[in-house]
Amino acid sequence: MTPDTQTSQKNILRMNFRQRPVDGIALKNLIQAGLIWLRTNQQVVNSLNVFPVPDGDTGTNMVLTMQSALDEIADSAERNFGKMAHSVAHGALMGARGNSGVILSQLWRGFARAVDSQDFLDAPSFARAFAAARDTAYKGVVRPVEGTILTVAKDIAAAAETALGHTDDPFTLLEFVVKAADQSVERTPELLPVLKDAGVVDAGGKGLFYILEGMLRYANGQGLELPVTAVQPLSAMVLGEAIETIEPGQDVEVVVDFKPHSSLDIEDFYRTLEGMGTSIQVGEGDGLYRFHIHVPLENQYKPIEYAKSLGTFTRVTMENLIAQMEDLEASRGGSKLTLAQVEQNQIAVVVVSPGRGISRIFASLGAAAVVEGGQTMNPSTEEIIQAFVNLPTDRIIILPNNKNIILAASNAATLTVKKVAVIPCKSIPQGLAAILRLAPDGDFEAVVEEMTAAINEVVTGEITTATRSVEIKKVSTKEGQFIALLNGELVLAAKNLEGACLGLLEKAHADHYELITLFSGAGISNIEANRIGDLIRQRYSRQEIEVKEGGQPHYHFILSIE
Amino acid sequence: MNLESTVQAEIAIVTDSTADIPSALTEELGIHVVPNVIMIQNQSFEDGIDITREEFYERLVTTKSISTGTASSGKYEEKFDLLLGKGSRHVLSIHAASLLSGIFNAASLAARSFGDRVTVVDSRQLSLGLGFQVLAAAEDAIRGAPLDNILSHLEDVSRRVRLIAMLDTLEYVRRSGRVSWARARIGELLKIKPFIELKNGHVLSLGEARTTQKGITRLKDLLLALGPVERLAVLHTNAEDQARQFLASLPITPPDSFLVNVTTVIGTHTGPNGIGFTVVLP
Repeated sequence: MTPDTQTSQKNILRMNFRQRPVDGIALKNLIQAGLIWLRTNQQVVNSLNVFPVPDGDTGTNMVLTMQSALDEIADSAERNFGKMAHSVAHGALMGARGNSGVILSQLWRGFARAVDSQDFLDAPSFARAFAAARDTAYKGVVRPVEGTILTVAKDIAAAAETALGHTDDPFTLLEFVVKAADQSVERTPELLPVLKDAGVVDAGGKGLFYILEGMLRYANGQGLELPVTAVQPLSAMVLGEAIETIEPGQDVEVVVDFKPHSSLDIEDFYRTLEGMGTSIQVGEGDGLYRFHIHVPLENQYKPIEYAKSLGTFTRVTMENLIAQMEDLEASRGGSKLTLAQVEQNQIAVVVVSPGRGISRIFASLGAAAVVEGGQTMNPSTEEIIQAFVNLPTDRIIILPNNKNIILAASNAATLTVKKVAVIPCKSIPQGLAAILRLAPDGDFEAVVEEMTAAINEVVTGEITTATRSVEIKKVSTKEGQFIALLNGELVLAAKNLEGACLGLLEKAHADHYELITLFSGAGISNIEANRIGDLIRQRYSRQEIEVKEGGQPHYHFILSIE
Repeated sequence: MNLESTVQAEIAIVTDSTADIPSALTEELGIHVVPNVIMIQNQSFEDGIDITREEFYERLVTTKSISTGTASSGKYEEKFDLLLGKGSRHVLSIHAASLLSGIFNAASLAARSFGDRVTVVDSRQLSLGLGFQVLAAAEDAIRGAPLDNILSHLEDVSRRVRLIAMLDTLEYVRRSGRVSWARARIGELLKIKPFIELKNGHVLSLGEARTTQKGITRLKDLLLALGPVERLAVLHTNAEDQARQFLASLPITPPDSFLVNVTTVIGTHTGPNGIGFTVVLP
């Protein structure tokens, strides 16, 4: 293709895509474009993690939220812009996952309200909608923090206002907005010290930028499938989450490390991989490339053949996802969960739990419903609602047990006629402390108050593996080391599990408490869990030590100190 | 018994040994207590007469086949007959919650032979939750209050009674089979001290504590949250030291507060080392 034909094609696309008037169908196309572009850059957003822990993946949460919005309008032929916007907002609200997803849904909610039943979108109403989106999102957060997606929403609303002085074209206004979003995201580390310490920009803000940029790229006729920054640092690649996102027909996960003979044409490389499979991630460090791909069984050797054609491969791992899924299903079906039976007018507790063992413990303490989810798998607002909508009572208390799920749970509370309270518990030990105060026949407000107060009566420890090397608050960790978090703060790194556990207990002054409970993670055998438990018993002979199977992913141990 | 020597009240007050009223008070107020029956390995004992509570709790832990039973309806019939024969015009028989025990049923059956001369009341409570109602009725009876007044006073007191306890384990409650929610609570966590409230004859869950110290603090908080109280009894199932510690931690206690090692009928279903309280609110 010569530059000339490229340009002329672009112009044709411009004419097609910048269609006016901007009606409901145009919005649908823009939403789709925003989603595709966000999905293309999902891993980039996911890698913007402050702590080196496997955290609620912001990119994934925002993609799933936008996907829910698109699903809501997929079959709609609504031409009215405002009505279509309301459908988008509703879909986003029901599918909202994680804090960023919830704030995103609030942005759409405000946006939709501002354009209410307008037939078309023009520049002034576009600017008004951005302002309303900002206002609604700020109101949706109890203590708004600057340097986050909220700041980006604020900056783009200001840019849209400014743009009105220069243009009456909504797409030109969008150009102003995207530019402002980009700059705003880059400024987030200046506003939020934790971002600066970790050397990243805000993930939610970045996700919002991609959505808007995707819309603009679509309007400009630019491609949406190929990420601009297709290659991420090797250390930022988070693999092993594949099982959550397995697509039909993509049976095998292949990860290949290789050193190319000559410099790699990334675009060409990426495109070839796209021809083979899905869930592509590419990482690079010191000239070594690693790619991750899901392929159908019959194509399982193609990625390796391809890597061989480009250079020398140093390592290949291949996993049968279908077999893994079956194993997972089998282990899940292993023991039945006996949930508490609530009666009419009793208080029912809905718990978000990351593992079977933890679910069983919550059930034994009176939980009436369990939503699977946690650290890297934030349940959507709709999943939370579904968990309690059929319970025979209108008095519901939700224990999110994770800071990334509190907002989605609060959102669920606003979307039902039932009386719902969310206890702001950020960890499993906090959630357990809360459910211990459950009086199912008690006065709702009094029980909520007591449960909320109880979450401060327990100390939470978490042991995981660092996903990258970083120094935070004088604690320096290397990728792959065991790290300990005390009440959510990184306190130490250690070579082995016992070092991390004992070090954590020391930092927590565990000798001043009565009871230490360990919840072992999915990858920890009972023998290993008991060995660590015995070591702790030796060191803390005056404390009671209890070791339980938690079954949570990512966290080798969760410790409750009380 | 000093039954012979006391002047028979117009209205005689009868209760059962689950009321946990100290014997000095039952004697002073002329309350007639019918003991419950405890079966230990096919041997039967009368509660508080053939076996002390300390002995009972010792054997509760070591012996599997302990059960409690109500005195027979024949025993109640005898008692009613005796009292009416000695000059009481009426018998008011107040008993443990019918949802939790067969005592009310046995007494009601016995009352049928006496027409309207015997009234049987379901206190919907246990221990001093029942005992405080009985004391109120006995005091009224001594003052010569008419039956209707005593009954409405009883109803009023029963509404103002609260009974809350922390058990050492849910195991005995579960084994008793009388509390439906306890069946589902298969002990996942070993260290769990369940909190219960007895309300209108139902055993309700008030959650759990994981350490004794936190449990005692919470028990205190629950008591203080009720505001000022008219009467207080601290209950325990063979855990006198803890009960005293709890009592001492309270900022103020009414002058005539009790400390009671509670009835074996409750003890069988709650297990040892539980502590709790009963209060009457103003």
